[in-house]
Amino acid sequence: MNAFWPRLMRIAEAREETADVRTLRLEPLDRDGGLEWRAGQFAFFTVFGAGETVFTIANPPTRADHIECTFKKLGKVTAGLHRLSVGQVVGFRGPYGNSFPVEEWRGRDLVFVGGGIGMAAVASPLRLALDRREEFGEVLVLNGARTVADLVYKEEMKQWARVGGVRVVRAVDPGGESPGWDGEVGLIPDVFEGLGVAPAGRVVIVCGPPVMFHFMLLALDRLGYPPENVVTTLENRMKCGFGECGHCNVGPFFVCRDGPVITADEFRRLPADL
Amino acid sequence: MDGWRLSDEQLRAWLASLFAGGRRVVAPAEEDGLVLLREVASAAEIRLDPRGRTRWSAKEFLFPATETLFSYTFDGDDVALERPPEVPEQVIFGLRPCDAAGAARLDDVLLVDELYARRRERTTLVSIACADADPACFCTAVGGSPAGTEASDLQFVPLDGAWVGCCLTERGAALVEGAAPLWPAAGEEDWAAVEEQRRAVEESIGAERLPAEWAGVLAEHFDGELWTVLGERCLRCGLCAYVCPSCSCFDVNDAGNALCGTLCRSWDSCGFAQFTKQAAGHNPRPTQPARYRQRVLHKFAWFPLEHGRFMCVGCGRCVELCPVGLDIRQAVNKVATA
Repeated sequence: MNAFWPRLMRIAEAREETADVRTLRLEPLDRDGGLEWRAGQFAFFTVFGAGETVFTIANPPTRADHIECTFKKLGKVTAGLHRLSVGQVVGFRGPYGNSFPVEEWRGRDLVFVGGGIGMAAVASPLRLALDRREEFGEVLVLNGARTVADLVYKEEMKQWARVGGVRVVRAVDPGGESPGWDGEVGLIPDVFEGLGVAPAGRVVIVCGPPVMFHFMLLALDRLGYPPENVVTTLENRMKCGFGECGHCNVGPFFVCRDGPVITADEFRRLPADL
Repeated sequence: MDGWRLSDEQLRAWLASLFAGGRRVVAPAEEDGLVLLREVASAAEIRLDPRGRTRWSAKEFLFPATETLFSYTFDGDDVALERPPEVPEQVIFGLRPCDAAGAARLDDVLLVDELYARRRERTTLVSIACADADPACFCTAVGGSPAGTEASDLQFVPLDGAWVGCCLTERGAALVEGAAPLWPAAGEEDWAAVEEQRRAVEESIGAERLPAEWAGVLAEHFDGELWTVLGERCLRCGLCAYVCPSCSCFDVNDAGNALCGTLCRSWDSCGFAQFTKQAAGHNPRPTQPARYRQRVLHKFAWFPLEHGRFMCVGCGRCVELCPVGLDIRQAVNKVATA
């Protein structure tokens, strides 16, 4: 099989999360089998005429009748995806990569930390944990963005906050608050430290821009979180998805093939090329 | 060892027979004063020269500089996809053992995809052993030899105006099926001469074999100071990756218009500033020394740790052609001791 051959999908629904972030619901045109993936796996999305781009699949495998992706308009392909309308066709190939060790989390408390568009990368395991709520302990969602206008999943966050044992904390960078903002103001690592969440029995799933991730790891160290209980998903530039094109190679590690999910412990052992 | 001793005429007669049946023949031919591997229309165009490698390697015939992954046509909101055309059956004749070994390195990475695998499956590699070496040659340092047979289906060794040939695979046997029974067998003295020539050429190269453990040593010198000294000289022109028989990194891009288009892949280089640059602006390898280090360590540390051999065949083209005289041998040998 031609590894680059995409499956055609129609845009069934489009939701504007912010001025430059959009969520698409995609449904396969064919009826050739279902869709299968694990939380944390990613895929390539094609805008015919613009090219391919990579996103984490944002919906959980517990809702496998479609594919959802949330992305920010940054380059040629994401700009193309922003222009498409419901009914139009895109390409999809995947899933690729490893996944979050969700089964190992059973019975444990979970902290999901998403910075900016990084929220989309932790959305699949978060939604999975909520769909299988009784299998996990307390769930804390910490979502931050530069400004109130940049926060994603606004409606869904309210629903999540109403689920028993789930706490949702939203934060914006200093200066990013608007009148009536009732969330936190501060950088995500600082806000997290201020929450006083003890590390015992907890797994932290974190994704955000490199600078946020860097300071988040330092904060987690200070709070005593063992690095093997901190998990992230990497988002290097990639062109193939299966360890062939060479773009995401870091030392002996290929983000697409050996990642993208990696513990803070494993992350620190890789060469400083990330 | 079984094999044959052929005259120039016998070899040319066999080469002429290869053109039957629509097979593509790629061989060394002269163009603008350079000896290039290219598709030839007749055996008369082929340069049967015992000396010197071709200007570029055979990579482009196995892994084209740009190739179509699929094509598409718009039809209203719908899109129709089309597979790329079937690849031709081809013979690559006259590549050197280093270039054939390059194909084995490409196999390590690219065989996972059908497009490459199909082209590879329909290709027969006929190498010519080297009767002498260029100053930049260093195949012996990375496990190769001027008479190395890795990935060759057939090999011919130039010897005193004649050719001593042997068959190495079933694919090679199929290509000489009709001709070989008529060729005179090579005698023991021929093989002794072949062996003697190999030893002499290896000696003239004078590069000691790099131990496999060197991969681990280099990996430990990720923070070596020499990376900066060497990497700052690099102009990021990408030439070294393009001339390399084993470099296999590629980019994928769309080339389309309002009606139709293709998704293509093209050679890329880890030395380019954009290679790792992310859409949001972050670049994990923001400096040329970091990119140069990746090039060297991918070939001599990361790849061997995974595949058990260096991702370099010692052809020396990058050494010979680098516009600022960067020599990968220097980086590999000295970074751990500088």
